[in-house]
Amino acid sequence: MSDAQAKVKVHVEKVNKSYGDNHVLRDISLDIAENEVVVMIGPSGSGKSTFLRMLNQLEMPDDGTIVVDGFNISDKSTDINKVRENIGMVFQSFNLFNNYSVLENIMLAPIETGKMDKAAAETKARQLLDTVGLSEKADVSVNSLSGGQKQRIAIARALAMEPDIMLFDEPTSALDPEMVGDVLEVMKNLAESGMTMIIVTHEMGFAKQVADRVVFFESGKIQESGAPKQVFDAPKNERLQEFLSKVMHA
Amino acid sequence: MLKKWLFGLASLVTLFSFNLTIQADKPHYTITTDATYAPFTFQDKNNKYVGIEQETMKAVADREGFTYTMKPMSFNSAAQLVSNGQADGIIAGMGVTEERKEVYDFSTPYYKTGVAWIVKKDSNIKSLKDLKGQTVALKTGTSASEYGKSLQTKYGFKIKYFNDTDTMYNDVVNGNSAATFEDMPVIQYSIKNGIQLKIMNPKSLGNAGVYAFAVEKGKNKALLASFNKGFAGIKKDGTYDKIVKKYLGATQSTFSGSKKDNSSIFGILNSNKSAFLKGLWQTIELTVIAILLASIFGILLGIMGVSEFKLIRGISTTIIYIFRGLPLMVLAFFIYIGLPGVIGIKIPAFTAGIITLILNEGAYTGAFVRGGFEAVEHGQMEAARSLGLTYGKAMRRVIMPQGIRIMVPSFINQFIITLKDTSILSAIGLLELTQTGTLIVARNSQGFRVWAIIAMMYLILITLLTWLSNWVERRLK
Repeated sequence: MSDAQAKVKVHVEKVNKSYGDNHVLRDISLDIAENEVVVMIGPSGSGKSTFLRMLNQLEMPDDGTIVVDGFNISDKSTDINKVRENIGMVFQSFNLFNNYSVLENIMLAPIETGKMDKAAAETKARQLLDTVGLSEKADVSVNSLSGGQKQRIAIARALAMEPDIMLFDEPTSALDPEMVGDVLEVMKNLAESGMTMIIVTHEMGFAKQVADRVVFFESGKIQESGAPKQVFDAPKNERLQEFLSKVMHA
Repeated sequence: MLKKWLFGLASLVTLFSFNLTIQADKPHYTITTDATYAPFTFQDKNNKYVGIEQETMKAVADREGFTYTMKPMSFNSAAQLVSNGQADGIIAGMGVTEERKEVYDFSTPYYKTGVAWIVKKDSNIKSLKDLKGQTVALKTGTSASEYGKSLQTKYGFKIKYFNDTDTMYNDVVNGNSAATFEDMPVIQYSIKNGIQLKIMNPKSLGNAGVYAFAVEKGKNKALLASFNKGFAGIKKDGTYDKIVKKYLGATQSTFSGSKKDNSSIFGILNSNKSAFLKGLWQTIELTVIAILLASIFGILLGIMGVSEFKLIRGISTTIIYIFRGLPLMVLAFFIYIGLPGVIGIKIPAFTAGIITLILNEGAYTGAFVRGGFEAVEHGQMEAARSLGLTYGKAMRRVIMPQGIRIMVPSFINQFIITLKDTSILSAIGLLELTQTGTLIVARNSQGFRVWAIIAMMYLILITLLTWLSNWVERRLK
């Protein structure tokens, strides 16, 4: 799907980020096309999560340019709230709103941003609950859900804003192994529907199966990127080879 | 929100600034006095202020055709309010000294006095020399205590300080201290009232001096002239002598109530019903208004404390730092006694008390409100913002509702502290429950019974407040 005519959704150019002496991202440049599914892999502390969080300004780059949906979000004067309405984000720790029921969690953003009225938001929320297979949980408290259920609600919550880009920050890392499958299933369906997705994950099997492109981060740099077949079966970069040999045999 | 709060405060100040209606053709003055200085000023068994000074002032005012509002409080506050121009005159057993003449202009003296030294009725101490190595009880800040202290090296006694006359007397009666020093008319009145003490030097009083009415130096010349003219009048026609005789010649029960009324908790409760109820009501009023306004102020400070903007956060931190750091009593004195001299506006005691509580309790509230918001998991804010909610909306819809649940126990705790802190405001003369107790004890010397009653009243109030808070807490959940 990465053909030349495809519209560029995310344009990143020469981005740097440091926390004190720790230079976590070094001169990162990356373009992501509409409908593309990009999976980012790499060891802990390689900068992949920081990079992802910059794509909706949860982190600000020190320098460089980030353009998402045509908005320059590395510029502080850009109205980030408008841009964020089109970027869904799913967190490792779910971050469901503890003070609302499942249905209210999904309805909150569309109503508060003025995107939908209450009735429309509820229709949308119930439809999404159906999509993620949790219709019967509409009125329960979020604290009564299992981790896997929480993450599927979190995905539904992000989708309620009808975004055209979805960011996933290690969505299955905090789950019990038997819960991982349900969440990946929802993500896979989403990818098949044509959503532009950027995913940080350690699920190599999932990456192989769903990704259009796999990007390997190490020491704040993109060391290698390409189609899953090439990255997993014929890695050129030495560090990638080392990383893969560790995770594949773990 | 800030505007609303300021408006509320402004209307509060207006509400409590109303003074007595003043007749346009007569001058009207504010006079301060020491609330517990029998036989000059004290509350009688009907909780009315009476005494030589009270009747003298009334006779002078009637004669000279002026009106006044009498404000009974502690001697120190009474003196300071006149010296900083918040009140017009003071009649509070104030001895005329060279030092005080720098600050006040004094009237013709209305009473000759001196310091007596006093021992237990059946004591075998004969002269000051017998006090060597013994303990002497003194009341802080009085001229009698300064006189006593000046004799310390010569006679070699130890000194123990007290804050009120009754505790000091009882220390001597109980034999813990061997002697005490007090102004002659004051000890005369107490002995008449049954205290088991005797005066050792009735003929040769120490530090002989005079009491006079005083105004701020160089100010209120008309009031001072009226007082002098009126006093000369009542002295001449015998009115003044009658007043003095009435108080120094009266029997114990005339002013402090019958033995029956003072010898049981129910007797005290019954004979002081209206005073207790008034004090209780004042405490409730202070508590309710302070809790409401301090909570609003505190929540505002807490919200400012988690603002997106550094400047606003800094303002919040500074306000909390200052008003949490100041002792409540210092803050009360500063607002009631210190501030008016600088800003030139009189602040009524009740308003000063409320402002003190708002600032102090509000600062504590602000600190735990901010803490409550900060205790909400960081991911909640990130999730809300990443959905496109503004900082304000994320705060209001997600962070604050969760933070407030964390804070509920702190709020209840703060409400109880506020109720107890109102007692500190007795220092600026507010007639709340604690000050009511002080006044009754000053008259009947029944410390144990009166303070037991006051303590019970606070416990009942705190119990009611806790029930109410717990009910609200359940409703919130």
